[in-house]
Amino acid sequence: MTISFKQIEEKLKTEARRLLESGQVSVVLAYGKGYDEKHPMPYVAKNPSDVANIVFNEYCNYNMARYLVRYPAGTKIAIAVKAADSRAVIQLIQEEKVKRENLVLLGIPVYGMKNSKTQEGIDSKTTSGLYNPILYDILLGEEVHGQKIVSPYDVIAEYEAMDKEVRWAFWKKEFDKCIRCYACRKACPMCYCDPCFIDQNKPKWGDKSPETHGNLMYHLTRFHHLAGRCIDCGECSRACPVDIPLYLFHKKVAKECEEMFGQAAGMSILDKPVLVNFRVDDSDKILA
Amino acid sequence: MSFEPKILGIACNWCTYTGADLAGTTRLHYPQNLRVVRVMCSSRINPSFIFRAFQLGADGVLVGGCHPGDCHYNTGNLYARRRLAVTKKILEFSGMEPGRFRVEWISASEGNKFAEVVTEFTAQIKSLGPQTKFKISQ
Repeated sequence: MTISFKQIEEKLKTEARRLLESGQVSVVLAYGKGYDEKHPMPYVAKNPSDVANIVFNEYCNYNMARYLVRYPAGTKIAIAVKAADSRAVIQLIQEEKVKRENLVLLGIPVYGMKNSKTQEGIDSKTTSGLYNPILYDILLGEEVHGQKIVSPYDVIAEYEAMDKEVRWAFWKKEFDKCIRCYACRKACPMCYCDPCFIDQNKPKWGDKSPETHGNLMYHLTRFHHLAGRCIDCGECSRACPVDIPLYLFHKKVAKECEEMFGQAAGMSILDKPVLVNFRVDDSDKILA
Repeated sequence: MSFEPKILGIACNWCTYTGADLAGTTRLHYPQNLRVVRVMCSSRINPSFIFRAFQLGADGVLVGGCHPGDCHYNTGNLYARRRLAVTKKILEFSGMEPGRFRVEWISASEGNKFAEVVTEFTAQIKSLGPQTKFKISQ
Protein backbone atom coordinates (compact mmCIF):
# COMPACT_ATOMS: atom_id res chain seq x y z
CA MET A 1 0.00 0.00 0.00
CA THR A 2 1.32 3.39 -0.92
CA ILE A 3 0.15 6.77 0.17
CA SER A 4 -1.34 8.95 -2.53
CA PHE A 5 -0.53 12.46 -1.41
CA LYS A 6 -2.46 13.90 -4.35
CA GLN A 7 -5.58 12.03 -3.25
CA ILE A 8 -5.26 13.29 0.31
CA GLU A 9 -4.80 16.83 -1.01
CA GLU A 10 -7.98 16.56 -3.07
CA LYS A 11 -9.96 15.22 -0.12
CA LEU A 12 -8.54 17.94 2.13
CA LYS A 13 -9.66 20.59 -0.35
CA THR A 14 -13.13 19.09 -0.73
CA GLU A 15 -13.71 18.88 3.00
CA ALA A 16 -12.26 22.34 3.64
CA ARG A 17 -14.50 23.87 1.00
CA ARG A 18 -17.57 22.06 2.31
CA LEU A 19 -16.90 23.13 5.91
CA LEU A 20 -16.24 26.76 5.02
CA GLU A 21 -19.20 27.06 2.66
CA SER A 22 -21.62 25.56 5.13
CA GLY A 23 -20.33 27.92 7.82
CA GLN A 24 -19.56 25.02 10.15
CA VAL A 25 -16.11 26.46 10.74
CA SER A 26 -14.64 29.91 10.22
CA VAL A 27 -11.02 28.80 9.90
CA VAL A 28 -9.30 25.82 8.29
CA LEU A 29 -5.74 25.13 9.40
CA ALA A 30 -3.90 23.22 6.67
CA TYR A 31 -0.85 23.46 4.44
CA GLY A 32 -0.23 25.88 1.60
CA LYS A 33 2.27 26.50 -1.17
CA GLY A 34 5.71 27.67 -0.20
CA TYR A 35 8.43 28.94 -2.51
CA ASP A 36 8.84 25.45 -3.95
CA GLU A 37 7.33 22.02 -3.62
CA LYS A 38 9.74 20.94 -0.91
CA HIS A 39 8.90 23.85 1.34
CA PRO A 40 5.17 23.98 1.96
CA MET A 41 3.94 26.45 4.56
CA PRO A 42 1.32 26.44 7.27
CA TYR A 43 -1.80 27.87 5.71
CA VAL A 44 -4.98 29.32 7.12
CA ALA A 45 -8.03 29.23 4.85
CA LYS A 46 -10.78 31.63 5.89
CA ASN A 47 -12.89 31.81 2.72
CA PRO A 48 -13.98 29.09 0.30
CA SER A 49 -11.86 30.87 -2.34
CA ASP A 50 -8.70 30.27 -0.24
CA VAL A 51 -9.12 26.53 -0.50
CA ALA A 52 -7.43 26.34 -3.91
CA ASN A 53 -4.13 27.23 -2.23
CA ILE A 54 -4.14 24.17 0.03
CA VAL A 55 -1.50 21.55 -0.74
CA PHE A 56 -0.40 18.29 0.83
CA ASN A 57 2.79 16.40 0.10
CA GLU A 58 5.46 14.41 1.95
CA TYR A 59 7.12 17.59 3.27
CA CYS A 60 4.03 18.84 5.15
CA ASN A 61 5.48 18.05 8.57
CA TYR A 62 4.21 21.10 10.41
CA ASN A 63 2.14 20.48 13.47
CA MET A 64 -0.85 22.72 12.86
CA ALA A 65 -2.04 22.25 16.45
CA ARG A 66 0.50 25.03 17.14
CA TYR A 67 -1.97 27.57 15.76
CA LEU A 68 -5.06 26.46 17.69
CA VAL A 69 -4.28 28.49 20.80
CA ARG A 70 -3.97 31.69 18.78
CA TYR A 71 -7.69 31.95 18.11
CA PRO A 72 -10.15 33.43 20.62
CA ALA A 73 -12.08 30.88 22.66
CA GLY A 74 -15.16 29.68 20.85
CA THR A 75 -13.79 30.02 17.31
CA LYS A 76 -14.90 27.08 15.20
CA ILE A 77 -11.78 25.59 13.66
CA ALA A 78 -11.15 22.74 11.26
CA ILE A 79 -7.62 21.40 11.43
CA ALA A 80 -5.64 18.89 9.36
CA VAL A 81 -4.05 16.39 11.76
CA LYS A 82 -1.53 13.64 11.20
CA ALA A 83 -0.88 11.05 13.91
CA ALA A 84 1.34 13.16 16.17
CA ASP A 85 -0.75 16.28 15.53
CA SER A 86 -3.87 14.53 16.76
CA ARG A 87 -2.06 13.72 19.99
CA ALA A 88 -1.20 17.42 20.31
CA VAL A 89 -4.86 18.33 19.91
CA ILE A 90 -5.83 15.76 22.56
CA GLN A 91 -3.21 17.17 24.91
CA LEU A 92 -4.51 20.72 24.35
CA ILE A 93 -8.04 19.50 25.10
CA GLN A 94 -6.75 17.87 28.31
CA GLU A 95 -5.18 21.18 29.28
CA GLU A 96 -8.44 22.98 28.52
CA LYS A 97 -6.86 25.23 25.94
CA VAL A 98 -9.37 24.26 23.27
CA LYS A 99 -12.77 22.63 23.42
CA ARG A 100 -13.55 19.46 21.53
CA GLU A 101 -16.89 20.78 20.29
CA ASN A 102 -15.23 23.76 18.59
CA LEU A 103 -12.96 21.55 16.51
CA VAL A 104 -13.38 19.55 13.34
CA LEU A 105 -10.42 17.21 12.98
CA LEU A 106 -9.51 16.22 9.44
CA GLY A 107 -7.42 13.12 10.10
CA ILE A 108 -4.65 12.23 7.70
CA PRO A 109 -3.34 8.65 7.89
CA VAL A 110 0.12 8.90 6.44
CA TYR A 111 3.64 7.54 6.45
CA GLY A 112 6.76 8.23 4.42
CA MET A 113 6.96 11.89 5.42
CA LYS A 114 10.32 13.52 4.73
CA ASN A 115 12.41 16.24 6.27
CA SER A 116 12.83 18.94 3.65
CA LYS A 117 16.25 19.91 4.98
CA THR A 118 17.88 16.47 4.90
CA GLN A 119 15.51 14.52 2.61
CA GLU A 120 15.50 11.77 5.26
CA GLY A 121 12.36 9.92 6.24
CA ILE A 122 11.12 11.03 9.65
CA ASP A 123 9.04 7.97 10.57
CA SER A 124 11.76 6.20 12.53
CA LYS A 125 12.77 9.30 14.50
CA THR A 126 9.53 10.93 15.52
CA THR A 127 5.81 10.21 15.07
CA SER A 128 6.01 7.60 17.91
CA GLY A 129 5.51 4.78 15.44
CA LEU A 130 1.93 5.92 14.85
CA TYR A 131 0.58 6.43 11.37
CA ASN A 132 -3.13 6.87 11.97
CA PRO A 133 -4.56 9.85 13.85
CA ILE A 134 -5.89 8.87 17.26
CA LEU A 135 -8.78 11.31 17.24
CA TYR A 136 -10.53 12.55 14.11
CA ASP A 137 -13.93 13.46 12.77
CA ILE A 138 -13.29 12.86 9.09
CA LEU A 139 -10.57 10.52 7.90
CA LEU A 140 -9.00 11.58 4.61
CA GLY A 141 -7.90 8.32 3.03
CA GLU A 142 -7.71 4.81 4.37
CA GLU A 143 -6.16 3.76 7.65
CA VAL A 144 -2.58 2.64 7.32
CA HIS A 145 -2.13 -1.05 8.06
CA GLY A 146 0.81 -3.38 7.81
CA GLN A 147 3.46 -0.71 8.19
CA LYS A 148 6.33 -1.62 10.41
CA ILE A 149 5.65 -0.05 13.79
CA VAL A 150 8.81 1.52 15.09
CA SER A 151 9.26 1.55 18.82
CA PRO A 152 9.32 5.26 19.66
CA TYR A 153 12.16 4.90 22.14
CA ASP A 154 14.61 2.88 20.02
CA VAL A 155 16.56 5.92 18.89
CA ILE A 156 17.54 6.98 22.39
CA ALA A 157 18.98 3.60 23.43
CA GLU A 158 22.48 4.47 22.29
CA TYR A 159 22.43 7.74 24.26
CA GLU A 160 21.14 6.01 27.36
CA ALA A 161 23.99 3.51 27.14
CA MET A 162 26.60 6.28 26.97
CA ASP A 163 28.84 7.03 29.91
CA LYS A 164 27.58 10.14 31.69
CA GLU A 165 30.76 12.09 30.91
CA VAL A 166 30.41 11.33 27.20
CA ARG A 167 26.73 12.24 27.34
CA TRP A 168 27.50 15.51 29.09
CA ALA A 169 30.10 16.33 26.43
CA PHE A 170 27.52 15.53 23.75
CA TRP A 171 24.80 17.75 25.21
CA LYS A 172 27.21 20.56 26.02
CA LYS A 173 28.37 20.60 22.41
CA GLU A 174 24.78 20.59 21.19
CA PHE A 175 23.54 23.29 23.58
CA ASP A 176 26.55 25.46 22.82
CA LYS A 177 25.37 25.60 19.21
CA CYS A 178 22.08 27.19 20.27
CA ILE A 179 21.63 30.75 19.00
CA ARG A 180 18.49 31.34 21.09
CA CYS A 181 16.22 32.05 18.16
CA TYR A 182 13.42 30.24 20.07
CA ALA A 183 12.27 28.47 16.90
CA CYS A 184 11.76 25.32 19.02
CA ARG A 185 9.40 27.24 21.25
CA LYS A 186 7.54 28.77 18.32
CA ALA A 187 7.11 25.43 16.54
CA CYS A 188 5.96 23.55 19.63
CA PRO A 189 2.19 23.07 19.99
CA MET A 190 2.59 22.78 23.78
CA CYS A 191 4.66 25.96 24.29
CA TYR A 192 1.91 28.49 24.75
CA CYS A 193 2.97 30.27 27.97
CA ASP A 194 2.87 34.03 27.81
CA PRO A 195 5.39 35.13 28.86
CA CYS A 196 7.75 32.19 28.59
CA PHE A 197 9.82 31.71 31.76
CA ILE A 198 12.98 32.69 29.90
CA ASP A 199 11.46 36.05 28.89
CA GLN A 200 10.69 36.99 32.47
CA ASN A 201 12.85 39.57 34.20
CA LYS A 202 11.56 39.18 37.74
CA PRO A 203 12.77 36.60 38.59
CA LYS A 204 15.31 36.26 35.84
CA TRP A 205 15.56 32.50 35.43
CA GLY A 206 18.34 32.36 32.92
CA ASP A 207 20.65 34.50 30.86
CA LYS A 208 19.21 35.56 27.53
CA SER A 209 22.49 35.73 25.63
CA PRO A 210 23.47 32.60 23.70
CA GLU A 211 26.05 31.26 26.11
CA THR A 212 26.46 27.86 27.71
CA HIS A 213 24.76 28.48 31.05
CA GLY A 214 21.77 30.38 29.69
CA ASN A 215 21.27 27.79 26.96
CA LEU A 216 21.45 24.98 29.48
CA MET A 217 18.91 26.67 31.74
CA TYR A 218 16.55 27.36 28.85
CA HIS A 219 16.66 23.88 27.37
CA LEU A 220 16.59 21.85 30.59
CA THR A 221 13.69 23.87 31.96
CA ARG A 222 11.87 23.57 28.66
CA PHE A 223 12.31 19.79 28.74
CA HIS A 224 10.89 19.85 32.24
CA HIS A 225 7.91 21.97 31.25
CA LEU A 226 7.14 19.53 28.45
CA ALA A 227 7.50 16.45 30.65
CA GLY A 228 4.46 14.26 30.17
CA ARG A 229 3.12 16.71 27.60
CA CYS A 230 5.51 16.33 24.66
CA ILE A 231 3.68 14.39 21.95
CA ASP A 232 6.77 13.58 19.95
CA CYS A 233 6.02 15.39 16.69
CA GLY A 234 9.68 16.36 16.33
CA GLU A 235 8.88 19.86 15.10
CA CYS A 236 11.35 21.46 17.55
CA SER A 237 14.26 19.58 15.99
CA ARG A 238 13.15 20.28 12.44
CA ALA A 239 12.60 23.97 13.18
CA CYS A 240 16.05 24.29 14.73
CA PRO A 241 18.38 26.21 12.40
CA VAL A 242 21.48 24.68 13.99
CA ASP A 243 20.10 21.13 14.13
CA ILE A 244 20.13 20.42 17.86
CA PRO A 245 18.52 16.96 18.27
CA LEU A 246 16.04 18.17 20.90
CA TYR A 247 13.70 15.27 20.16
CA LEU A 248 16.18 12.87 21.82
CA PHE A 249 15.86 14.59 25.18
CA HIS A 250 12.10 14.98 24.85
CA LYS A 251 11.82 11.27 24.05
CA LYS A 252 13.87 10.35 27.08
CA VAL A 253 11.67 12.43 29.37
CA ALA A 254 8.53 11.04 27.74
CA LYS A 255 9.85 7.50 28.19
CA GLU A 256 10.59 8.07 31.87
CA CYS A 257 7.16 9.63 32.43
CA GLU A 258 5.48 6.71 30.72
CA GLU A 259 7.42 4.21 32.82
CA MET A 260 6.93 6.05 36.10
CA PHE A 261 3.32 7.16 35.72
CA GLY A 262 1.99 4.65 33.19
CA GLN A 263 0.54 7.20 30.82
CA ALA A 264 1.73 8.61 27.52
CA ALA A 265 0.89 12.16 26.50
CA GLY A 266 -2.07 12.88 24.28
CA MET A 267 -3.61 9.43 24.00
CA SER A 268 -7.06 10.09 25.46
CA ILE A 269 -9.08 13.23 26.14
CA LEU A 270 -10.16 11.73 29.47
CA ASP A 271 -6.61 11.66 30.90
CA LYS A 272 -5.05 14.36 33.01
CA PRO A 273 -1.48 15.52 32.29
CA VAL A 274 0.79 13.46 34.57
CA LEU A 275 2.47 16.33 36.40
CA VAL A 276 -0.77 18.00 37.46
CA ASN A 277 -1.99 14.71 38.78
CA PHE A 278 -0.79 12.19 41.35
CA ARG A 279 -1.57 8.83 42.79
CA VAL A 280 -1.33 8.15 46.48
CA ASP A 281 0.39 4.87 45.67
CA ASP A 282 3.10 6.37 43.44
CA SER A 283 6.25 4.54 44.45
CA ASP A 284 9.05 6.33 46.28
CA LYS A 285 11.39 4.34 44.06
CA ILE A 286 10.88 6.89 41.30
CA LEU A 287 13.01 9.28 43.35
CA ALA A 288 15.89 6.83 43.72
CA MET B 1 43.12 21.99 51.73
CA SER B 2 40.41 19.38 51.77
CA PHE B 3 37.32 19.88 49.64
CA GLU B 4 34.38 21.34 51.55
CA PRO B 5 31.24 21.05 49.41
CA LYS B 6 28.48 23.62 49.27
CA ILE B 7 25.15 21.91 49.61
CA LEU B 8 21.81 23.58 49.15
CA GLY B 9 19.06 22.21 51.33
CA ILE B 10 15.49 23.09 50.47
CA ALA B 11 13.29 22.15 53.39
CA CYS B 12 9.55 22.19 53.85
CA ASN B 13 8.43 24.43 56.71
CA TRP B 14 6.20 21.89 58.43
CA CYS B 15 8.33 18.76 58.50
CA THR B 16 11.94 18.88 57.43
CA TYR B 17 12.67 22.39 58.67
CA THR B 18 11.09 21.58 62.01
CA GLY B 19 13.03 18.30 61.99
CA ALA B 20 16.22 20.28 61.47
CA ASP B 21 15.20 22.47 64.38
CA LEU B 22 14.75 19.38 66.51
CA ALA B 23 18.17 18.10 65.49
CA GLY B 24 19.54 21.43 66.75
CA THR B 25 17.69 21.49 70.03
CA THR B 26 18.71 17.90 70.76
CA ARG B 27 22.34 18.96 70.20
CA LEU B 28 22.97 16.55 67.34
CA HIS B 29 26.06 17.15 65.22
CA TYR B 30 25.99 17.16 61.47
CA PRO B 31 28.29 18.70 58.84
CA GLN B 32 28.08 22.44 58.31
CA ASN B 33 28.13 22.18 54.53
CA LEU B 34 24.37 22.40 54.26
CA ARG B 35 22.72 25.77 53.63
CA VAL B 36 19.04 25.44 54.31
CA VAL B 37 16.35 27.44 52.54
CA ARG B 38 12.87 27.18 53.99
CA VAL B 39 9.86 26.86 51.70
CA MET B 40 6.28 26.42 52.75
CA CYS B 41 5.86 23.11 50.96
CA SER B 42 8.00 20.79 48.86
CA SER B 43 5.66 21.45 45.95
CA ARG B 44 6.71 25.10 46.15
CA ILE B 45 10.04 24.04 44.63
CA ASN B 46 10.32 25.08 41.03
CA PRO B 47 12.68 22.64 39.24
CA SER B 48 14.50 25.70 37.92
CA PHE B 49 15.62 26.37 41.53
CA ILE B 50 17.63 23.18 41.34
CA PHE B 51 19.16 23.85 37.92
CA ARG B 52 19.94 27.39 39.06
CA ALA B 53 21.56 26.18 42.29
CA PHE B 54 23.89 23.94 40.34
CA GLN B 55 24.71 26.81 37.99
CA LEU B 56 25.52 29.10 40.90
CA GLY B 57 27.99 26.58 42.30
CA ALA B 58 26.12 24.17 44.54
CA ASP B 59 27.84 20.78 44.69
CA GLY B 60 24.70 19.03 45.78
CA VAL B 61 21.02 19.73 46.36
CA LEU B 62 18.99 18.07 49.11
CA VAL B 63 15.25 18.47 49.12
CA GLY B 64 13.28 17.62 52.24
CA GLY B 65 9.53 17.24 52.55
CA CYS B 66 6.87 15.61 54.67
CA HIS B 67 6.23 11.92 54.29
CA PRO B 68 3.65 11.24 51.57
CA GLY B 69 0.25 11.38 53.21
CA ASP B 70 1.53 13.70 55.93
CA CYS B 71 1.59 16.93 53.96
CA HIS B 72 0.32 20.00 55.81
CA TYR B 73 -1.58 20.88 52.63
CA ASN B 74 -2.75 17.27 52.14
CA THR B 75 -1.46 16.69 48.62
CA GLY B 76 1.50 19.03 48.04
CA ASN B 77 4.25 16.48 48.38
CA LEU B 78 2.42 14.01 46.15
CA TYR B 79 2.69 16.50 43.30
CA ALA B 80 6.27 17.28 44.31
CA ARG B 81 7.20 13.60 44.23
CA ARG B 82 6.24 13.27 40.58
CA ARG B 83 7.80 16.58 39.62
CA LEU B 84 11.11 16.03 41.38
CA ALA B 85 11.35 12.50 39.97
CA VAL B 86 11.26 14.05 36.50
CA THR B 87 13.86 16.65 37.56
CA LYS B 88 16.15 13.84 38.65
CA LYS B 89 15.80 12.00 35.34
CA ILE B 90 16.51 15.20 33.41
CA LEU B 91 19.65 15.87 35.45
CA GLU B 92 20.82 12.32 34.87
CA PHE B 93 20.23 12.32 31.14
CA SER B 94 22.04 15.63 30.74
CA GLY B 95 25.13 13.96 32.22
CA MET B 96 25.03 15.19 35.83
CA GLU B 97 26.10 12.63 38.45
CA PRO B 98 22.89 11.09 39.83
CA GLY B 99 24.12 11.33 43.44
CA ARG B 100 24.16 15.12 43.50
CA PHE B 101 20.43 15.53 43.83
CA ARG B 102 18.43 13.81 46.50
CA VAL B 103 14.91 13.96 47.88
CA GLU B 104 14.19 12.75 51.40
CA TRP B 105 10.99 12.61 53.42
CA ILE B 106 11.82 13.75 56.95
CA SER B 107 9.08 14.45 59.48
CA ALA B 108 9.15 17.02 62.29
CA SER B 109 9.95 14.34 64.85
CA GLU B 110 12.85 12.85 62.93
CA GLY B 111 15.74 15.03 64.10
CA ASN B 112 17.96 11.96 64.13
CA LYS B 113 17.11 11.09 60.57
CA PHE B 114 17.83 14.66 59.48
CA ALA B 115 21.31 14.54 61.00
CA GLU B 116 21.97 11.10 59.48
CA VAL B 117 20.82 12.10 55.99
CA VAL B 118 22.91 15.28 56.01
CA THR B 119 26.00 13.41 57.23
CA GLU B 120 25.58 10.69 54.64
CA PHE B 121 24.81 13.11 51.79
CA THR B 122 27.79 15.34 52.62
CA ALA B 123 30.10 12.33 52.59
CA GLN B 124 28.68 11.29 49.25
CA ILE B 125 29.20 14.74 47.72
CA LYS B 126 32.74 14.84 49.10
CA SER B 127 33.53 11.58 47.35
CA LEU B 128 32.03 12.92 44.09
CA GLY B 129 34.23 16.02 44.26
CA PRO B 130 33.41 19.56 43.10
CA GLN B 131 30.54 20.01 40.69
CA THR B 132 31.90 21.65 37.51
CA LYS B 133 29.46 20.71 34.78
CA PHE B 134 26.66 23.19 35.39
CA LYS B 135 28.68 25.77 37.26
CA ILE B 136 29.01 29.12 35.54
CA SER B 137 32.73 29.70 35.01
CA GLN B 138 33.83 33.11 36.18
